[in-house]
Amino acid sequence: MTSIESAKPGAKGIGLREVPSVVEARRLTRDYSFGKELVHALCGVSFDVPAGDYVAIVGPSGCGKSTLLNLLGAIDRPTSGSVVINGTDVARMIDREATSFRLRNIGFVFQRFYLMPTLSARENVELPMAEAGISKTDRLSRAKELLTYVGLGHRERHRPSELSGGEQQRVAIARALSNRPAILLADEPTGELDARTGAEIIALFGQLNRDGTTLIVVTHDEELASAANRKIHMRDGLIVDG
Amino acid sequence: MPFTLAWASLRRHGTRTLLAMLGVAVAAAMLLDMVMMSTGMRESFRRLLVSRGFQLRLAPKGTLPFDTDATIKHTRRALVQLRRNPDLTAVSAVLGGTIHVPRNGRVITSSALGLDPRVQGDYELLAGTDPIAPNAIVGNEEFIRETGTRIGDTLTVATGYDSQTREYLGSRTFVLTGRVRFLYGAARQRAAAMPLETMWKMSGRDRQDEASLFMIRVREGVNLDSAIQWIKMQNLNSTVISTESALAQIDERLRYFRQLAVILGIVSLFVGFLLVTTLITVSVNERVGEIAVMRALGVSRSHIVEQIVLEGMAISLVGAFAGLLLGLVTGRYLNGILSSFPGLPEAIDFFLFQPKAAWTALGLLALSGIAAGVYPSLRASSLPIATTLRQEAIA
Amino acid sequence: MILPLLLVALVQAPQRTIAIDERLAVDAKLAVGDKVILSAATPASPTGDTVIVGAIVKRSTDPAEVARSEIRIRLHLDHLQSLAAYGDRVDRFAVATRGEAATEQAIDVINSAAFGFQAHRSKDIAVATSKTFQVVSRFHKAIGVITIVASAIFLLCIMLLKVEERRRDVAALRLMGISRQSVMRAVVIEAALLALVGSGLGVGVGWVGSQFVNWYFRGVYRTPLAFSVVTPSIVTLAVVLSLVLGIAAGFLASLRLVRTPPLILFGR
Repeated sequence: MTSIESAKPGAKGIGLREVPSVVEARRLTRDYSFGKELVHALCGVSFDVPAGDYVAIVGPSGCGKSTLLNLLGAIDRPTSGSVVINGTDVARMIDREATSFRLRNIGFVFQRFYLMPTLSARENVELPMAEAGISKTDRLSRAKELLTYVGLGHRERHRPSELSGGEQQRVAIARALSNRPAILLADEPTGELDARTGAEIIALFGQLNRDGTTLIVVTHDEELASAANRKIHMRDGLIVDG
Repeated sequence: MPFTLAWASLRRHGTRTLLAMLGVAVAAAMLLDMVMMSTGMRESFRRLLVSRGFQLRLAPKGTLPFDTDATIKHTRRALVQLRRNPDLTAVSAVLGGTIHVPRNGRVITSSALGLDPRVQGDYELLAGTDPIAPNAIVGNEEFIRETGTRIGDTLTVATGYDSQTREYLGSRTFVLTGRVRFLYGAARQRAAAMPLETMWKMSGRDRQDEASLFMIRVREGVNLDSAIQWIKMQNLNSTVISTESALAQIDERLRYFRQLAVILGIVSLFVGFLLVTTLITVSVNERVGEIAVMRALGVSRSHIVEQIVLEGMAISLVGAFAGLLLGLVTGRYLNGILSSFPGLPEAIDFFLFQPKAAWTALGLLALSGIAAGVYPSLRASSLPIATTLRQEAIA
Repeated sequence: MILPLLLVALVQAPQRTIAIDERLAVDAKLAVGDKVILSAATPASPTGDTVIVGAIVKRSTDPAEVARSEIRIRLHLDHLQSLAAYGDRVDRFAVATRGEAATEQAIDVINSAAFGFQAHRSKDIAVATSKTFQVVSRFHKAIGVITIVASAIFLLCIMLLKVEERRRDVAALRLMGISRQSVMRAVVIEAALLALVGSGLGVGVGWVGSQFVNWYFRGVYRTPLAFSVVTPSIVTLAVVLSLVLGIAAGFLASLRLVRTPPLILFGR
């Protein structure tokens, strides 16, 4: 398979201005071996995401969307290629460096929310800030600020089991924003939600982007994909469009 | 945050956590009891031996004090010889025997000591006066109760019962002058003490001028070995026993209990460790997804290990402290069983609480709690994040 | 010539023989046929008698001898009486009888007729002299009880963990229509099987441990006494107790699980 390099700017509002790229992916490949079989999940993907962009990565199941997102989020390492985020190549970092980089530069939102069930909404939002060494007072106020931003200021003491799916996802988004990351990555953020709740999340993402957050979402949800500034279509480990 | 997460995790499965702490508490109690037993007997006996300041004992050659009916002869001469040495500040001769007190139609048998009340290390006077006069006698609580006497009463005392003729060798009237506690007396054993000269007079020709034991106090600062050498040179046909050699003999006799204590102690420590390890391992396995998420969020491996180790430590520490209290209770109970050994001095404790040994044991348990959490947490925090998240999603 | 020799032979009494304890034989490196001097240091025998070791006797399995380092020498009665200047006296007689009725009759006759004698049943003496071992036995039982309590807690904890690991499976079964009783029955049967296998292993380990204990302490105390014995009744008790505890632990753990609504078990 040959790789297709893609360097198109976003469709909405980005235009031909020289905007610094927050994310630069070059010739990314990722292979998995299952016994004797070698699976090529990514076959040489390259693209840029300028600051403030809102990108949706779409494609059929098994096309490599989530694998790509994991590489961008430095929670997996590519077999070859590079991922530069805010000028730093994360692909070659050792685990300790990658962990620290994720903490301060990347926000992650998962399909299944993955909130800590034993912590309250506020404590869940505080978790990354506590890890980053922010003082109790500062992280308390920031957590409240973020929860208010996502519309859950009145539910800060509630545990995840006491929140609906949509509310949990909003807490997860607040958590992802706690250390003011350069980018927010979301893997099927509306996958576990009903249409109405999903629409709320889509609206929240829109708001985040308008407020300056760079977003990359992986989704099957057409409505979510349509809300993005541009779509990147993938098939069989390659970008086919976008 | 690791503390918050650890605490939250323990509370999440409250019953499981409580059971684990209880299990550790029982293991800790057993461990503490075994530590107390392994060191307590010796220490308890040592304290008893040095309680009155007598560092040396002379027993009939080849025996331990009161182990047999053997005696040291020519006691008067021996006392003179020994007291000639200015380094020996006190020499006390003691003769053991049996007395019979006919009272209200029955005969109460009791053990008795003939001694010099001015230089004695066998009893502690609780009430009344020492038996200075030739016809004075003191008894312990059991003796006084069984004979139905009070301080100041007279009583007839006989010795040397001959079962063939059913007669006594010696019999005289005594005045009970005091109530005492015999330091080496067994629990519930009737015992009395009278002047040594009186005991000799009552015991017949066979036991005149004999002693079962000499107790010797050595001047402070004098080398014990040189004192022992000097005593041996006096040719008293006796064995010199220092506190250390007596303890060595006791160690030998009680070796079984010390070995049992070591084995059970190790088993207890192992069981406590196993319990915490199992619990933490299962708990971590249940949370690999959460751990992967925390890693994805940027929580470092060391902080995850710290959180999980804190959980293990919390279970171990709480269990250890609860075990400390439980161990003191069970120790008392077990001590009560072993204290009923026939002939064992009541003052001996098998289970003696010695802070240093106890804290060492409990510290070991706490350390095992830490060790229990290290491997499972290292393993879980090293799992590949993306793969783990995918597997959790599938599961 | 023959007469003086006969007279010498008659006058010269043969040397007496003694039987010694095997520990003395080892410690003093004595063998049958060796000559030793035996002395009670009495006026009657100030220098002692030269005797021949006629036999070496194995130690008996008497627990009372275990912790003591004394040794035993057996002499002919008259020899000991003369050596110790004891005269025509003994400490006790041992009497064998033909059955329980004869024992009772003998005790009555002896106690009423013999002046200064007291007859005791051997088993009464055994009970009176075994107080030390009764204490040790009680101590062991107490340790055993504590161990059982710890094991029960451990078992309950493990069962709880095992059962909770499978809560989603149980939730799925319950949602399918499988009754609580069926789920509990399955868990209890599993717990019982685990307990049976575990107790079997435990009996094996216990038997090996018992062999080791006997081997070790027999060496230490130089006695043929058996310190640890695994009897059918002990095995039965261990197996039954394990089963009871295992079933109880399984029952309690599964009861907790089936009382929780299935959807909550799924985490919803």
